Amino acid sequence: MQVNLKNVTKKFNDFKAVNNFTLTFEEGELICLLGPSGCGKSTLLNMISGIIPVTEGKIFFDDRDVTNLAPQHREIGLVFQNYALYPHMSVLENISFPLEIKKVEKKEREALAVEMAKLVKVDTLLDRKPAELSGGQQQRVAIARALIKKPKILLLDEPLSNLDARLRLEMREEIRRIQQETKVTTIFVTHDQEEAMSISDKIVLMKDGVLMQVDKPQVLYDNPLKEFVSTFLGNPPINTIKGNYNNGFFEYNNQKIKLNYHTNEEITLAIRPEAIDFDEENYDFKAVIKERFKIGKEELLMLQFNDLLLRTYATDELNKNVGDEIGLKLKNKGVFIFDNKGDRK
Amino acid sequence: MSRQQFSLNNKIEPILYLSPFFFGLIIWTLYPFINVLLISFKENYNLLTGSYKNLGLGNYIYVLNNLKFLNALRNTGIYVIFTVPISTFLALIFANLLNQKLKGIALFQTAYFLPLVTSATAIGLVWKLMFNTNFGAINQILSYLNISPIHWLDYPKNNIYTLIIFGVWNILPFTIILLLSGLQNINPLYYTVAKLDGASDFKIFRRITIPLLSPTIGLVLIINTISTSKVYSELFPIFSGRPGIADNLYTVVYYIYDLFYVKWDLGKAAAASVILFLILFALTLSQLQIQKKWKHY
Amino acid sequence: MVFPFFYMITTALKTPQELTAFPPVWIPKNIFNLENFKLALKEAPFLIYFLNSVIVTICCVVITGFTTIVAAFAFSRLKFFGRDLIFSLLLSLMMVPFEMLIITNFQTMVRLKLTNTLIALIIPFTSSIFYTYILRNFFLSIPDSLYYSARIDGASNWKYLWRIMVPIAKPSLFTIMLLNAINCWNSFVWTMLVINNDNFRTLPLGIYKFSSEGGADFELIMAGSTLIVLPMIILFLFARKYIVSGVSRGGLKG
Repeated sequence: MQVNLKNVTKKFNDFKAVNNFTLTFEEGELICLLGPSGCGKSTLLNMISGIIPVTEGKIFFDDRDVTNLAPQHREIGLVFQNYALYPHMSVLENISFPLEIKKVEKKEREALAVEMAKLVKVDTLLDRKPAELSGGQQQRVAIARALIKKPKILLLDEPLSNLDARLRLEMREEIRRIQQETKVTTIFVTHDQEEAMSISDKIVLMKDGVLMQVDKPQVLYDNPLKEFVSTFLGNPPINTIKGNYNNGFFEYNNQKIKLNYHTNEEITLAIRPEAIDFDEENYDFKAVIKERFKIGKEELLMLQFNDLLLRTYATDELNKNVGDEIGLKLKNKGVFIFDNKGDRK
Repeated sequence: MSRQQFSLNNKIEPILYLSPFFFGLIIWTLYPFINVLLISFKENYNLLTGSYKNLGLGNYIYVLNNLKFLNALRNTGIYVIFTVPISTFLALIFANLLNQKLKGIALFQTAYFLPLVTSATAIGLVWKLMFNTNFGAINQILSYLNISPIHWLDYPKNNIYTLIIFGVWNILPFTIILLLSGLQNINPLYYTVAKLDGASDFKIFRRITIPLLSPTIGLVLIINTISTSKVYSELFPIFSGRPGIADNLYTVVYYIYDLFYVKWDLGKAAAASVILFLILFALTLSQLQIQKKWKHY
Repeated sequence: MVFPFFYMITTALKTPQELTAFPPVWIPKNIFNLENFKLALKEAPFLIYFLNSVIVTICCVVITGFTTIVAAFAFSRLKFFGRDLIFSLLLSLMMVPFEMLIITNFQTMVRLKLTNTLIALIIPFTSSIFYTYILRNFFLSIPDSLYYSARIDGASNWKYLWRIMVPIAKPSLFTIMLLNAINCWNSFVWTMLVINNDNFRTLPLGIYKFSSEGGADFELIMAGSTLIVLPMIILFLFARKYIVSGVSRGGLKG
């Protein structure tokens, strides 16, 4: 099912938690709502689920206006951060509970529950109580319970943040797999950019209740339209330098970087770590090597540029040591210029 | 979260859920409370017709000048003044012993919980037998110590002591429970440190346990004062429903019941009960005050 | 502290001679002497008292349980105007002693012509602010997400309450019901006021009347007392955990 948001706004008293969102989520996509905590992503999810009413604007599922529809009639499945499994029921009872409410016959609903359990791989744990399961298993059960009604949309609210690092990697692959097997439109809230980048078809990046950019993960990374988007995505993070452009040179504290730009004004230069080349002859600027770190197969280089530290990657041929000055050249890809409002130029 | 979420029948639903509860509450708590306040001002109130002579403070003036009431206040006061400190002191000793992590805690727990879960009337009758001058257990035990039999029940002057002993036994369990939970909230590290410093057990008790337990003790004193001020049903098994063998042991609540159930003088009974309520109210307020302090402790 | 219990049971097994003997007899010779129990049952209708006590206790626990559950649910889960204000007013109403209410409640019973019925022993105690308070606090500790999950699964408030909340709250609920049962079983003053017909006496009133009216022998009274006390002791032994946690919160005779 397609989800359409039309000028959706949520106010808590005077505070705008979600500010004027107009968006479309296509059927069968896995969409991540991404942003720092307090950016309104969970509020947006809860408006889609119907738990929180909308202050202004409308929500459509396909062509149907669901703005004032109670959550139980929206044909959605919802998975909470703490899983919200019923502690007194077994795994089987938990998964089949939504059908029990619908008064589906016991045999039929249990058969369906077993099928769901197989999908999420908990079919060997059917008689256990939630307290006897690991966090990852509880998460699987919660997803099975959300899916058993064959919802048109699956909503997941920070589903991985209660898991430890290894399980988190495993479960995000699982969520991706389950989503692809069921083809259910899935909306997923997270504050972890890596998580979002690795599994989603599309990312909705938000900040302070405002939509920053929506697109495929790679597009967001390669072509950020706002300074915030460029800094929020990417690890190690992007290098940003605030300074002035003057006739062919970007200036920071009187130190210059050769740059091709059109107007003389105050700008922010954002450079991805991988967008810096080493070139002793034809360089755009110079910096001093401050430190070298070996992290796995890559080597990270910290460069002193005026009073700033810039990050980049070393290459195998680089034969310079800490304390040496080197010439650097900016690539075309991965270098962005933003104006003082944070918009891309 | 906002009010309009989920269903639209939200306005009626709380009423449906609350009505069974409020039905009983209004009839048996709210209405009687207000009614008693009203009746207390109605002089010569007639139980059957509901008629009365005039509104005023007459009932209060009568009660406060009534010798029987003043006597009842005095008796209740004596009872409270003896029962509460004695039981608190004893409970402090017991609670400390119980807090030593003895084996067989279940057995001890059963022992001091029994009086709480069993009928005070039935056990009161046991006490009546125990207080029997000729063959009661207490005088029998005293006889081993060559103490001649004490007339617990049939000599009026002794009645108050009899009642106090029974009263102490009655509230001891609950007092122990409260003090024990207070003791268990004290961080055992304090004791370890004090022992390392070479403090004696008595010193530890006096300088660490008592100060840290003082909020609990304060609370216990007030809670027990409130409950013992209402001394009444204890009189029934021991003195066969009379306030002491020669009607010499009127308590405040007994006075209220006497006015209302025997003399059918509801106005005065109501006035007396309002006076009791005001006394208890003041005590409760100070209890809340202590509890507030406790939280900041 | 257990001495009265020991003394009660041993006396109930003593012969009249053993009770008054000097030097005193602490343990009766024949500890299986059930004569006193037989005699007591013959002299007073303890079985009727017992039955009355059972009926009153069960009705009290079931009805109070119901009103408490639904009210605690409304005060914890439903939203309505002035909810928390109303609740704190209720809490302050707990300060009013029952001794003060009894005057009007007795009048009401007379007007409803309910004196000398078992109903009179049940209905005044069907709404408990204290139990509602305990249960509400427990309900508040159940995470919101459970509620939203169930609602999205299509469960109504009613269904959610009985299918999810009540099963989760079982230990708290059990505690409340046990306290209530103990209080009902031992209730004496109110019973004495509204019942003066032998057929509707409960055990505590029955034993009291037996001791004060008949001038009955002490061994028999002790046998009767044992009959009242024993069920509660057994109950305590079986549900110690729940009763202990309940009483520690100030729920009994406090």
